[in-house]
Amino acid sequence: MSRIAWSLGLWMALAGCATSTGDVSPMKAPLPAPAQLPQDGKLRIIAFGAHPDDCELREGGAAVKWAALGHHVKFVSCTNGDIGHWNMAGGPLAMRRAAEVKQTSKLLGISHEVLDIHDGELMVTMENRRTICRLIREWKADLVISHRPNDYHPDHRYVGVLVMDAAYMVTVPFFCPDTPYLTKNPVFLFSEDAFQRPNPFTPDIAVAIDDVIEKKLAAVEALHSQFFEGGANGHAGLVPDPNDAEKVAARKKVVRENFSKRFAATATKHRAALEAYYGKDEAAKVGFAEAFEICEYGRRPAPDEIRKLFPFYTK
Amino acid sequence: MASEKLRVIVFGAHPDDCEYVAAGTGAKWAAKGHAVKFVALTNGDVGHFAMAGGPLARRRAKELAACGKILGLTSVSLDNHDGELMPTLENRKTVVRLIRDWRADIVISHRPNDYHPDHRYTGVLVQDAAYMVTVPFFCSDTPHLAANPLFLYCDDKFQKPAPFSPDIAVAIDDVVEKKLDCFEALESQFYEGGCNATADLVPSDAAGKAARRKQVRDRMRGEFARGERFRKALEKRYGKKAAKVEYAEAFEVCEYGRQPSAEELDKLFPL
Repeated sequence: MSRIAWSLGLWMALAGCATSTGDVSPMKAPLPAPAQLPQDGKLRIIAFGAHPDDCELREGGAAVKWAALGHHVKFVSCTNGDIGHWNMAGGPLAMRRAAEVKQTSKLLGISHEVLDIHDGELMVTMENRRTICRLIREWKADLVISHRPNDYHPDHRYVGVLVMDAAYMVTVPFFCPDTPYLTKNPVFLFSEDAFQRPNPFTPDIAVAIDDVIEKKLAAVEALHSQFFEGGANGHAGLVPDPNDAEKVAARKKVVRENFSKRFAATATKHRAALEAYYGKDEAAKVGFAEAFEICEYGRRPAPDEIRKLFPFYTK
Repeated sequence: MASEKLRVIVFGAHPDDCEYVAAGTGAKWAAKGHAVKFVALTNGDVGHFAMAGGPLARRRAKELAACGKILGLTSVSLDNHDGELMPTLENRKTVVRLIRDWRADIVISHRPNDYHPDHRYTGVLVQDAAYMVTVPFFCSDTPHLAANPLFLYCDDKFQKPAPFSPDIAVAIDDVVEKKLDCFEALESQFYEGGCNATADLVPSDAAGKAARRKQVRDRMRGEFARGERFRKALEKRYGKKAAKVEYAEAFEVCEYGRQPSAEELDKLFPL
């Protein structure tokens, strides 16, 4: 009896306590909170890549341009890249690559995060969907960038699927109710690839990056394990004796030239898209570019909103 | 088809999706004595701004029951969490068994490129059940179908990798009021506005409530006025009468089920 009285008393005390600090009774549970958006007038961009180098290659230039205007950019690598080398792997490689993207994010003036998921093993799970959803919400993103779900590497494709599957769900209050939801679905973009099936990449947006190309190439150089040393498909023959300054410089030059060509090819391939944003005369002068496709599952920006999200165009 | 009566099963992601895409056609089939079943693959338990979990799932199951009554068919939901439908083997088997148990001639679902992950995975799961429903030793506990059913997609507006192709369109002017009644009955989603709404959508006074009901009905009436969008497909079926069709539903033939001729397809659908 005393035990019953005691527990009733305790229950009443607890109930009273709960009432005084906010009602937590099951009938009046608090509602999930919408994310409080910062009022600094700046854009918030989050880009997801599969490996610690993918965002840098595809949106490194645009990121520098956003960051230079005070906008907030974050690159997330969805795997730790721990098999991305021909003679090292596992934890040591993951740590090395985390250090590399730490350096590139400093160069670009942005934030970064590497998820501790094995390279080559990213799968479309609910757990990963929730992780992506929370990252987008926590960044309070206006703009989300990912691979298309038909890029060449399974990790790239599943980043595309996971990010697509987070679109819209980031606005649903009781999905991941532990993380304040977004009241506005962000604009979701795909970065460029060359794959044709089931449909080719559409350059809905093109950005000239001539003014920041040196920073982007410096980021490529900082991703030493991947490009200087050649990453997973590299070999010892690529890597000169570090004490042979001439050979080191020659190897650096090769890497730089290869990537210069790649970033120039985007400008050539998507000249028509550049013309739409810069006009024919200015577009003709663009040497290096990045291009993006608007994903159908996010907010669909009108042309004037695109220009607000990419505040780089004078025309 | 074992008898003259058709057996149709429609899969939607949430407890309102089958109604949204096929309530009119469903009601017309049902009125002719065909057997129609609507199945929501999730229970819709995150589909509201102020309630969630079991209580919302139960509420939405009741809403479906009301729709079923209005349309003269069965409308149910499976107890999978909303926002968490995955293309698992377990879910594939569930879908296969449902199609087999219904002895379906026609199966309808979302396309795998609709806007919501649950819609996309509903499309994938139903696609993955096509053909497998005919394999005797797949889910050998459930009698297999001797013939692969006709699989159809309901319409959406997404363009990539391919836009929806209206292979068949059904005029639903004669049953559109029933379809609209459903959207009144789906109170949590439309009257109250579902997961992206706020409490101020629903007025507290009687006049305000009546106005809100009318607003929902008018808006949905506008949404279902797809005669213009599917005019060509309607003309193929209805000839000159197509010009007068205001409300329509349309379906695309999935490549993985039975491939009927155009005439055969036309005969399977109520005018």
